[in-house]
Amino acid sequence: MKAVVVETDILTPFGPGIDACWDALLANRTSLSPVSRFATTAFYSDYGGTVPGLQYDSETSLVMQMLARLFEGTGTKIPGDAKLLLATIKGEIDLLEKSIINGAGEAGESSLNNLLRKVIDLTGTMGGGMVVSAACTSSSAAAARAAAMIRGGEAECVLVVACDSVTEFIFSGFSSLMALDKIPARPFDKNRAGLTVGEAAGYTLIMSEERALREQRTIIGEIAGWGLSDDANHMTGPSRESEGLIRAINAALDSAGVSAGQVGFISAHGTGTPYNDAMEMRAFRAVFKERNVPVYSIKGGIGHTMGAAGLVEMAIAQRALREGVVPPTVNLKEADEDALGWVADRRQAIVPNSIALVTNAGFSGINTALVLA
Amino acid sequence: MTVSVRGIGWVTKTGYGSVRTGLDQPFAEGEGIHSLAKRGIFSHPFKNFGRLDGVSRLTVSAVALALQDAGIEYSPADKQDIGIIGTSREGSLKSDSDYFRDFVENGRTLSRANLFIYTLPSSALGEAAIHFGLTGPLLYAAGVTGTLGEPLDIAAGIVVAREAGRMLVGRIAAEEVMYAVIEGTQEEGALCTLDEARLIMESAEDISGILRQLYILKVKKGTA
Repeated sequence: MKAVVVETDILTPFGPGIDACWDALLANRTSLSPVSRFATTAFYSDYGGTVPGLQYDSETSLVMQMLARLFEGTGTKIPGDAKLLLATIKGEIDLLEKSIINGAGEAGESSLNNLLRKVIDLTGTMGGGMVVSAACTSSSAAAARAAAMIRGGEAECVLVVACDSVTEFIFSGFSSLMALDKIPARPFDKNRAGLTVGEAAGYTLIMSEERALREQRTIIGEIAGWGLSDDANHMTGPSRESEGLIRAINAALDSAGVSAGQVGFISAHGTGTPYNDAMEMRAFRAVFKERNVPVYSIKGGIGHTMGAAGLVEMAIAQRALREGVVPPTVNLKEADEDALGWVADRRQAIVPNSIALVTNAGFSGINTALVLA
Repeated sequence: MTVSVRGIGWVTKTGYGSVRTGLDQPFAEGEGIHSLAKRGIFSHPFKNFGRLDGVSRLTVSAVALALQDAGIEYSPADKQDIGIIGTSREGSLKSDSDYFRDFVENGRTLSRANLFIYTLPSSALGEAAIHFGLTGPLLYAAGVTGTLGEPLDIAAGIVVAREAGRMLVGRIAAEEVMYAVIEGTQEEGALCTLDEARLIMESAEDISGILRQLYILKVKKGTA
């Protein structure tokens, strides 16, 4: 049973919609700018990717503000029987910040369980709901599980919702890990020095092909294969051998029943940290050998949107498949030696009828690879 | 493919043990989760056990007992195609509070990376993956009730689709924890079927309740 995407939408620092993000990326623009939401003077960087118009001091959390905007007017598009998978790493963590800083509310209000109930109400899904959290692979892992449920006949329709926001909690944490670049992130650049935190929300409605055809839905694309793995190596750094990501990519290709030669482009995790990007390029070279496959990262454009990253990147990759072109890697000035000939500071055309590979990696050495057709 | 439960390890406030082998070891006075690393439940020393957050300590201890119960040996040099799914109602709430309270108490200027790394719901699973060499899928999955039924289904789906050879799946509730090893073959010595386990894990309120029912089932089936 094929798992197909029939609805998808995102809210990113470029504003609402896939078009806004796609057009800005194609134009090689970045949304990353100094964060004004909280004081950043104590941190390693001032830069972040924030969605315009959100209220940090509101009683409503940042992610719920984003999700309310995202689902406005989508009522008829989401079937009531859809299962819900909510992908996030920190959800409404700004509620915990307020309770500790101002004594406003209870810290427990920030639990992912509470957020899950809110999102069930917001989306009107009655098919059961679950939080899926796998560090920065959360939404790609959730999409993989959704596709697996459909392929395995356990579900006909799964709604994957993803969200994470830029908060003092997150910012201070990444700063303490020395993971932030002082300037906007430069994935795959020779001089890259870290990531930039970003925020986003998105959803994708995944159905069995049979039901999509029965309901005369427009099929945006197929989640044809997936692979999930762990490095079992280090809590915050990727394996220097890249064996975990290689395993995930090969599993995804096997799951899709395709060969590496059919992959037309790679949407990389590409955080801009020296270790992540090097790890990914090692994996890509190991799988694709001497064939230079177009690779890009969107994190120079919108930042690292954490639990939402995989879903946003999946939406952009689906658009790239349809348009036959991949966006430039924003903020790339001089490609690192190992990425030369793979990444570009300009759009790259892709071979017609090829398939896409989307990779993500996260803390605890988690890796995901999705094959999109 | 039939999916069965191969072994179960657990830690409660009063002791620790494993279901198939019948280990049931109460804590001596003054002992508790902090002392587990010294009780020989790990086949090789657990580096920095004392620095782990509470959820991680419980998780890795129950995983060690579950692997032992299932007869699965492990070493850091020999990684294995085993995945892990954990669930709870609270996620990383306690570690979130610990991290941010510490940051605020330090004037909102200094934050501690060693506290921040435990603020992901999946962090404890990562510690388990590193120590036991688990290279399969790793995720935190929690439904509204925080019970084990749906995570068990996901784990079974992963095994059936051969995305991993075996899965560890477990739950933490009220400072008690249990982890089960599930696999896709009905070899002799399996503790129970997935359906039997699911029925118990969905119906019992707490970890102790689940364990009581599992021991009753074990006696009924004569599995040991």
